[in-house]
Amino acid sequence: MPDPIVLLLAAALLFALALLIFHPRKGIFIRLRAGRAAAQREKMEDILKFILDRQQEGRFTSNEALIDVLSIHPNELLRVRKTMEAQGLVRVEGGTLALTATGQQLALQIARAHRLWERYLATEARLPLQKIHREAHRMEHRISQSEVNALDAALGYPLFDPHGDPIPNRAGELPAKELGKPLTEWEAGTPGRIIQFEDEPPLAYEQILAEGLKLGQTLRVIEATPERYVLTDGENEYRLAPAVAANVFLVPSPKAAIHGGDVFPLASLDDDQPAEVVNIDESCQGFTRRRFLDLGLTPGTIIYPELNNFFGDPRAYRVRGTLIALRRDQAGMIQVRRLEPE
Amino acid sequence: MSVLTNENLTPQDILAKAQKLRPQLGDAFRDEIVTSLYGEAERIAQRAVHTTKDKRWDFDQRIDRIVTSPVWGLPIMLLLLAAVFWITIVGANIPSQMLATALFWLEDKASGLFTAWGIPWWITGFLWHGIYRGLAWVVSVMLPPMAIFFPLFTILEDLGYLPRVAFNLDFLFKKAGAHGKQALTMAMGFGCNAAGVVATRVIDSPRERLIAILTNNFVPCNGRFPTLIMLATVFVAASFSPVAASFVAAGSVLAVVLIGVFFTLLVSWVLSRTLLKGEASAFTLELPPYRRPNIGRIVYTSLIDRTIFVLWRAVLMAAPAGAVIWVLGNIYVNGNSLAIYIANFLNPFGVLLGLDGVILLAYIIAIPANEIVVPTMLMVYTGTGMMIDLPGLDGLRTLLIGQHGWTLLTAINLMLFSLLHNPCATTIATIYKETKSAKWATVSVIITLGLAFLVTFLTASFARLIGWA
Repeated sequence: MPDPIVLLLAAALLFALALLIFHPRKGIFIRLRAGRAAAQREKMEDILKFILDRQQEGRFTSNEALIDVLSIHPNELLRVRKTMEAQGLVRVEGGTLALTATGQQLALQIARAHRLWERYLATEARLPLQKIHREAHRMEHRISQSEVNALDAALGYPLFDPHGDPIPNRAGELPAKELGKPLTEWEAGTPGRIIQFEDEPPLAYEQILAEGLKLGQTLRVIEATPERYVLTDGENEYRLAPAVAANVFLVPSPKAAIHGGDVFPLASLDDDQPAEVVNIDESCQGFTRRRFLDLGLTPGTIIYPELNNFFGDPRAYRVRGTLIALRRDQAGMIQVRRLEPE
Repeated sequence: MSVLTNENLTPQDILAKAQKLRPQLGDAFRDEIVTSLYGEAERIAQRAVHTTKDKRWDFDQRIDRIVTSPVWGLPIMLLLLAAVFWITIVGANIPSQMLATALFWLEDKASGLFTAWGIPWWITGFLWHGIYRGLAWVVSVMLPPMAIFFPLFTILEDLGYLPRVAFNLDFLFKKAGAHGKQALTMAMGFGCNAAGVVATRVIDSPRERLIAILTNNFVPCNGRFPTLIMLATVFVAASFSPVAASFVAAGSVLAVVLIGVFFTLLVSWVLSRTLLKGEASAFTLELPPYRRPNIGRIVYTSLIDRTIFVLWRAVLMAAPAGAVIWVLGNIYVNGNSLAIYIANFLNPFGVLLGLDGVILLAYIIAIPANEIVVPTMLMVYTGTGMMIDLPGLDGLRTLLIGQHGWTLLTAINLMLFSLLHNPCATTIATIYKETKSAKWATVSVIITLGLAFLVTFLTASFARLIGWA
């Protein structure tokens, strides 16, 4: 007969172990299952979003594409697809996947969360654009519907995300948008306005950002060869590899026709040369734009660079009787037209 | 309008209608609202305000052209800073001595009285030569420079000069990935680093604010100026005529400050590429018109809000430190005081850094309040059981150079250590309060102390390598 105390201890230990594993809320078992369920939901949501993207581009989604782009193991895909079919989110037609009405609605809501997050991170948190996609991708699966609505309202119901993708509204409707043409199909010499960047793959997007291209910028193609594309906005030249250029989308630019060639960024205005504010770049949104507007940099405002310091940056500008110092990067976001001195 | 006046509509219908109409506004509608607001304001202003050609405004512009000019902007800034230091050093000298004489006279009388009453020596010692003497030191060393420095500084602030400094230096901070307003918080740090840390609230980007908080300690505060001034007078200014000495001292302090600014920028640069990765954010800075300083307000804010506030905090910190110093200096084991034992233990490490054990001990004791570094050092060197007053320039030279083997390397490294070492207890507590994170408070200590050890070790090794020390 073993010692009763040892027995008692063993029983207590066993009980603790069982509790650790099977506790209804905090047990390892339930946590693992919750973790796996969350991982599975994330996979499903990624698949839905991917199909939606393809559908909007007018392309079909095959199993191979999913395996390739989302790097899912084929067996796992099969399992996830079955679940999704059972939930009535996707239909399999021949070799391709299509969204059902429910699936489409869910996919739009995920896209909405993602793009609103990107918008928030870029314009309010002012994270570098290269970083927002990954962060938004992490957050999109964890945010509830009501949180998304609150975010939407706080941001002032934006229509587009920082690279020009339309943001669906609460009902899942997309704002009307001109369809851009990729830069590779753009006619050389015609001015075009950038309305969208494709942010996948990230490497190509980073190159676009590194070149300093911005949404809303008006450009002309001055050289298109199989090796490279050279663009100009009248001020600077931008060089892109053709594979990267295909990720930049343009629409015809009526603005360039109105302005002619005399509108240029404030940063290149000569010292003491009065000018009139024409507009603030489209790419400048959120916090920075509000700050500019608060300072009174509205269209038609007269502005001139008054003070220059040792380093030549920032410069102080006279606006509505006050002196305001702006760094060169920010002055580059404000478009002005030269005025004749009185 | 018809939508709203139709009585059959429920609030839900109106909301739904608004929802539908909203996308048609487009992104630019906020711009239009602001534009129309400004347009309206301009119209009213034009009707209500008559402007004649303003002479003062032209005058402002002319001053601005000089103080921010590409050629004169930076020299004028340095000159003003040097002038503030010089006035502080020269002006604080005599009141400091008067205060010290008065306060130490009181100590003598009081301890004499205690002895006469038959109170045991260790109570008298602990209370008067320990706690009271610590307080008296801090008050006499800190109060006069602060009472001069803070009002001078507030005048510059009130005039509207500080935003011009931020304007002149912004480029450097931008290159370091930091915010231009960090120049303002840095300037506040001259008064007190804890105040500088609080002042970082003007920076709206959290990343750049953290950088400003973590690097604020690299400008020497008022509590550290006495150490710097002593080094400047003993080692640099001593070989000049008495007339030139104060200028040389102010110049040396300025040089140390510039080294501090260099480290501020360097650490900001490293931080924004490692721990706090990110780009410099939007920066807009208004350069307000110059204003005639309001003397009454300056005296009030600089004396009450700043001087008394900082002094009170230092007093709270110095009293226990004074007690510790007295205990360490008066408990003897085998004929040596505890202070000597600890100093001997720390000595090898101190020598490695080009300093010695006594200096390190002084810095450990002075964590609560940096002001008492010099008195503690002198106490251990002279072997008296209490902090002592500066025994005159010549006496100090003989004591440090003659008896304790100080070299130019010791002076330079002590200067660098004083500039770079960990923030005082109050500043650490303020960092914790402002960031609400023990992690960042710890990081601030690790960065500063690590850098202080590294830099002094490198200069000491380099000096020894080339046979200089």
